[in-house]
Amino acid sequence: MTVIDIPAVPDLTRMGRARGAKLRAAMAQQGVDALILLGNTAVSYATGVSWPLGDSGLAHADRPVAVVVADDPSAHLFMPFRAGTSAQEPLPADHLHPPVYLEYDEGVRNFAAVLADLVPAGATVAADELTGAMRRAGKSLFPGGSPSDAALVLAAAKLIKTPDELACIRTALRITEQAMADIAGSLAPGMRQIDLSAGFVRQAYEHGALANVLDPIWQVMPASREAGVWTTHGDLALPLLTTERELAKGDVLWTDVSISYAGYCSDFGRTWIVGQDPAPRQQAQFGKWWEIHSAVKDVLRAGATAADLTRAAIAANGGSKPWLPHFYLAHGMGTDPAEMPFVGTDLGEEFDEQLVLEAGMVLVLEPVVWEDGTGGYRSEEVLVIEEEGWTALTDYTYAPYGD
Amino acid sequence: MATEVLPDDRALRVGRRERVLAHMEAHDLDVLVLGRMANVRYVTGSPGLWTAGTHPFAPGAVVVRATGAVHALMTWDEGVPDDIPREHLYGLTWNPINWVTTLQGIEGTATARRVGTDTISPTFAQLLPYAFPVAELVDGEPAMRAARRVKTAEEVVALREAIGVAETSLAKAVAELRPGVTEQHLSGVLLEAAAAGGVSTPATQEVAWVTSREHPWRKVNGDRRVGPGDLVAFTSGVVAGGYIGEVARTWPVEGGDPGPLYERWDQLWARLLDACRPGAPAGDLLTAYDSAGEPLPPMPVARGLGLGFDPPVVASGLPTTAAEERLEPGMALAVTGYVWQEGVGAVLGRQAVLITEDGAELLTSSPIWTP
Repeated sequence: MTVIDIPAVPDLTRMGRARGAKLRAAMAQQGVDALILLGNTAVSYATGVSWPLGDSGLAHADRPVAVVVADDPSAHLFMPFRAGTSAQEPLPADHLHPPVYLEYDEGVRNFAAVLADLVPAGATVAADELTGAMRRAGKSLFPGGSPSDAALVLAAAKLIKTPDELACIRTALRITEQAMADIAGSLAPGMRQIDLSAGFVRQAYEHGALANVLDPIWQVMPASREAGVWTTHGDLALPLLTTERELAKGDVLWTDVSISYAGYCSDFGRTWIVGQDPAPRQQAQFGKWWEIHSAVKDVLRAGATAADLTRAAIAANGGSKPWLPHFYLAHGMGTDPAEMPFVGTDLGEEFDEQLVLEAGMVLVLEPVVWEDGTGGYRSEEVLVIEEEGWTALTDYTYAPYGD
Repeated sequence: MATEVLPDDRALRVGRRERVLAHMEAHDLDVLVLGRMANVRYVTGSPGLWTAGTHPFAPGAVVVRATGAVHALMTWDEGVPDDIPREHLYGLTWNPINWVTTLQGIEGTATARRVGTDTISPTFAQLLPYAFPVAELVDGEPAMRAARRVKTAEEVVALREAIGVAETSLAKAVAELRPGVTEQHLSGVLLEAAAAGGVSTPATQEVAWVTSREHPWRKVNGDRRVGPGDLVAFTSGVVAGGYIGEVARTWPVEGGDPGPLYERWDQLWARLLDACRPGAPAGDLLTAYDSAGEPLPPMPVARGLGLGFDPPVVASGLPTTAAEERLEPGMALAVTGYVWQEGVGAVLGRQAVLITEDGAELLTSSPIWTP
C-alpha cells in the first residue's frame, strides 16, 4: 500500500509550482483563459503570497488582486502594503504590480488598462467577485463578455493537496494543538470564555501561527435541546459566539479554533468538561461518537463516495444523521478553513452519490452526538485520504473522555 | 462585552436603519441584498461570527424598502434584535436552489423593480434573477456607502470604545519592546491584550514589524527578531461592537538616532491634521505629503472608520476619487503618516480623526515617541 509521503518541512517554491499547474489544468478543463481573483484565500492560492488576514470589512479597502493567464506559469499580483507579506517573494518582478482599488470606478479604469495588456482580446475570463464598479465597467473590463465564476476553477484545483500542502496543514494543526494543550491545562471554573480566547491567540502566535482565522468558540452546551437557543431547524445551534461568561464546574464545552500557517488553515474541535471528569452517561456519548467516526473511517478510501460516508455515519447512529442540519458530516480544508469536498450538506444525496473521493483530499470529520442532560459530544478529526484508506494528520488527545 | 450575546443598542440600530432606508429611497432601490459582514451588521444590529479575510458573496441580509423589513441569514436568534422576528431569519444553505427558494419567500421580492447588491459573484449574478423576476439588478454599495460615511452620535460612541481597546492593547505590546524579542511575540501580546480587554476580533493581524532600513516599505528578511536601533511599527486594530478602532505607532529600540525622522513625521502630521476640515476635498490629504516634501506612502493615506471600512479611501492610486470627495462633519477617518529614511527605517503613525463642524477632533491619544 502506498502512502503519501508528507515532508517534515514544506518546500514552498515546489508547492507554488504544483498549485500553478493544477490551477491551469482546471482552467483548461473548464475552458477558462484567464482568472481575476479578489478573494483573499484565492489570491493566496494563485500567487503563493500569504499574509495575516484581517477583518473582512477592512480587507475590501485595499486588497491584493491576482490575475492568472493560462499560458503564463506565474500569476500577476496587484499588491497593497502588507506588513506581514511572506518574505520569500515567489513572483517575478514584472508580475508584481501596484495595488488596484476595485471598489472605485477610477480603480477599475486603471485596472482595465493594465488587464488589457495581460489578457488577450477575446479570452474567456472567470472572476470570483464582481464589485459594483467592476459591473459598471462592463465591456471595458470584460471585452469578451460576462465572466464565469472563478470559484469553480479554484474548487477543482484545490481539491487534491500536494505533499507540501499537507505539510503546511500539518504544521498549522501542530501549532494549534500546542496552543490548545496549554489552554486545556489551564481550564478551570471561574475563567471567562474570552480569557480562553486571549490565551489561545497568544499561544498560537508564540508557537508560530501566521494569523488567527476564527474567533475562538467555547460553546457551553445546554442541558437540553429545548433549553438551548432557538434555531430555524429546531436542532442545536453551533457555533455560538464567545462572551465574558464565566465557566462553571461541569460545563460541557464544544470548542472550535482555527489558525493559519503559510496560508493554510488548521481546524480543531474537541469537547471538554470544566473542572471534572465525564459521568458515565457523558462517557457513553463519546463512545457513540467514537463508533460513528470509526464507521466512517472504515469506509473512507479513494473511490468511496460522500454518500458511502453519510450512510455509514447514519447506520452507526441508529438511522438518523449525526450532524447538524446547517452543516455537514465532513468538509475539506486548505487555504480556506472549510472548502470542497463537503459531505452531507443540503446539496443532497444525489450530490453526495456523485462526489467520488480521491487520494490526497483532506477531510475534517465532525459528527456530533446529542442526548439531553449530557452536553453531547463533538470532535473534529483531520484526515488525508489514501488509495487504501486514510492517514490522520493529528493524534491529539480526546481527554477528558479518552486518549 | 457582556456575558451573553446581545444585539447592538436600539438607538444605534434605529439611527442606522433610518439612514439605510433614506438612501435606498435616494438611490431608487426597492430591495437591498447584502453580503458583506459590515453591511449585514449595519442593517441587522446583530453580531456575526468573525472569520479572517474576505468572504465569498452570499445573501446575508435582505432589506425591503416598502415594508422596512430586514431578513437575515441567521440560523438562530441569539443576538438578534426583537425588531427582526424569527420568521425573518433563514438558515445557512449550500444549495443554490434553496437560496432562490429562501429569497422568493421574502415579501416584496416578486415585485421589486430595482434590487441592489453590495457586491456579487458570477454565480449569484445568475441566481438572483430567479428570485427577483422583474427586477433590474444594480450596484447597491453606493447607497450603503452613503449611509455609512457620516456617523451618528451613537456610532461615534462605539468608535471611541473600540479605539480605547486598541490603544490599551498597543500599550501592552509596546511595553514588551526590547532587543531580542520577536515580531511574533509582540503580535501575540497585543492580540492577547485585546481579547483580555473583551475584544477577540482583530481588525488587522499585521501587528508588529521591524521597518526596513534598505527599502521604503519592503519587509525585513531574517529571523523577525528586534535588534538595537530598529524602528518597530505597531498597528493595533480591533472590531468592537462591529466598529473598527485603529491606532498605529512606531517605537525605536535604543541604539539609533531616529530623532530627525520623528521630526519629519511631526511636520507631516501637522499638515495632515490641517487637511482634515469640513468641506475640504479629501485630496488635500494627498497634497499634505507633497507640501511636507514627503513621498506618498505605500498604503492609503486615509480611509473611513466605521463598520468595516467606510468612505473615503484616500490613496495615491485614486487621485481623482480623492479630489472629488468632500470631507463632512461626522466622518471618521484613520489617517496615516509615513516617513522613511535609508539606513534608519520608517516611522508609521496612524490616528483616528473625527471631522467636526469647525475642524477635526483627534480620537486617538496613545503616546508618540519623542527624543
